[in-house]
Amino acid sequence: MLASAASRKNALKVVQPSLNFVRGKRTKSKGGLNPQAQRIITQLSVMSASRKQPKLLKLSREDLIKHDMIQACWAQYQRELREKRTNLLKLQYENIEEAMNLLEQVDPELYEMANAEESGKRVPLELRVPTQYPPNNVWYYDYKKKD
Amino acid sequence: MSVKAAASSIPKAVKAGLVLSRVPIVTPELNALENKYYQYQAELERRLMWTFPSYFYFKKGTLAERRFQSVQKGVISKQPGVWFPKGVPDVRHNRERSQKQDIMLPREASEGSNKSDVSRPIVPNSRTTKADENNDITSLDRKLDRTLHLLVKDDKGSWVLPSFPVDIEAKEGKKALHETAEVGLRKIGGEDINTWTVSNTPAGVLQSEKDLQFLIKSHIIAGEFKLKDEKSIKEFAWLTKDEIKKAVDERYFNSIQYVLAEN
Repeated sequence: MLASAASRKNALKVVQPSLNFVRGKRTKSKGGLNPQAQRIITQLSVMSASRKQPKLLKLSREDLIKHDMIQACWAQYQRELREKRTNLLKLQYENIEEAMNLLEQVDPELYEMANAEESGKRVPLELRVPTQYPPNNVWYYDYKKKD
Repeated sequence: MSVKAAASSIPKAVKAGLVLSRVPIVTPELNALENKYYQYQAELERRLMWTFPSYFYFKKGTLAERRFQSVQKGVISKQPGVWFPKGVPDVRHNRERSQKQDIMLPREASEGSNKSDVSRPIVPNSRTTKADENNDITSLDRKLDRTLHLLVKDDKGSWVLPSFPVDIEAKEGKKALHETAEVGLRKIGGEDINTWTVSNTPAGVLQSEKDLQFLIKSHIIAGEFKLKDEKSIKEFAWLTKDEIKKAVDERYFNSIQYVLAEN
């Protein structure tokens, strides 16, 4: 009897569970989804339109006329710019043609050299594309001639 | 027909003229119409934009989320029995659906402006420079949004494009027009200049009684034009098309105006 009691006590000692505290462990399950699935749903919802689209734009008659007027004005402005540019290109071409015709009459050898094919010619990489604001160093003055 | 006439007369001296330009460094200034139109389009676009998914960027219950939420303006939500003059609010994800959404970003209190600090506020450089203030026409820093062209003052005291005589009689090793122009530029402006000639083909021709001047287009990429040959050239200037129109006489401008860049 005594021995059996002692052995039971021993068994209790061995079986006694140790408390493991885990940080960040959810105590209440919400929706029953595991975090991985929840993350995927969040990521998909970012790309989907549901509940994120604004209301349709309903313009009154007056606003619609205003909008059409603005668009028409812009289209006309762009057309004028385009025509101006095309015209300028045409005049530039005529200038080149006149110069080349004259050069052919004056000096055929120079004409040959001016008319030589320039395949593989590239715009240099150092040539900057215009930006909205200038760089810290506006112009590179200290260029030295390369031999 | 004028071509035939020119060819039949006695051979004139041939010159290579140089149209050296500095391309714009900043984008052109917008005019009033462009400004208004872009503003209108931007507002339309913001009105039609999807709601910002803040739940994706700020995890629930974090300090970052709280900081973000504290600077948002907030929306008016629907109340029973209340009349809303601008329509009944329709709020989804903290956004009034019938209006554009303004997102405010929380500004961190900056501890002194450290130049190496990555999160320092961005301060753009000024689009006008010192050369603009002093109206220094020999500087390449001026009029950053326009194309500048190199003009020189010849011995008669008038502004012209630089030009260099071509040796037509040379039997061997005749130089092409663009080569003459490049070599000539370095003779009058020093060697420390990097240019890119657009084409071997002349972009235009200026005819006078004595000579024919074929214009070669070129861009300056780096370096500086320093006046070396002070005997034949008094001054030089980097001018825009509008300024050239004022500086040169009308006939000369009409003959070169299509070679110059509009802006």
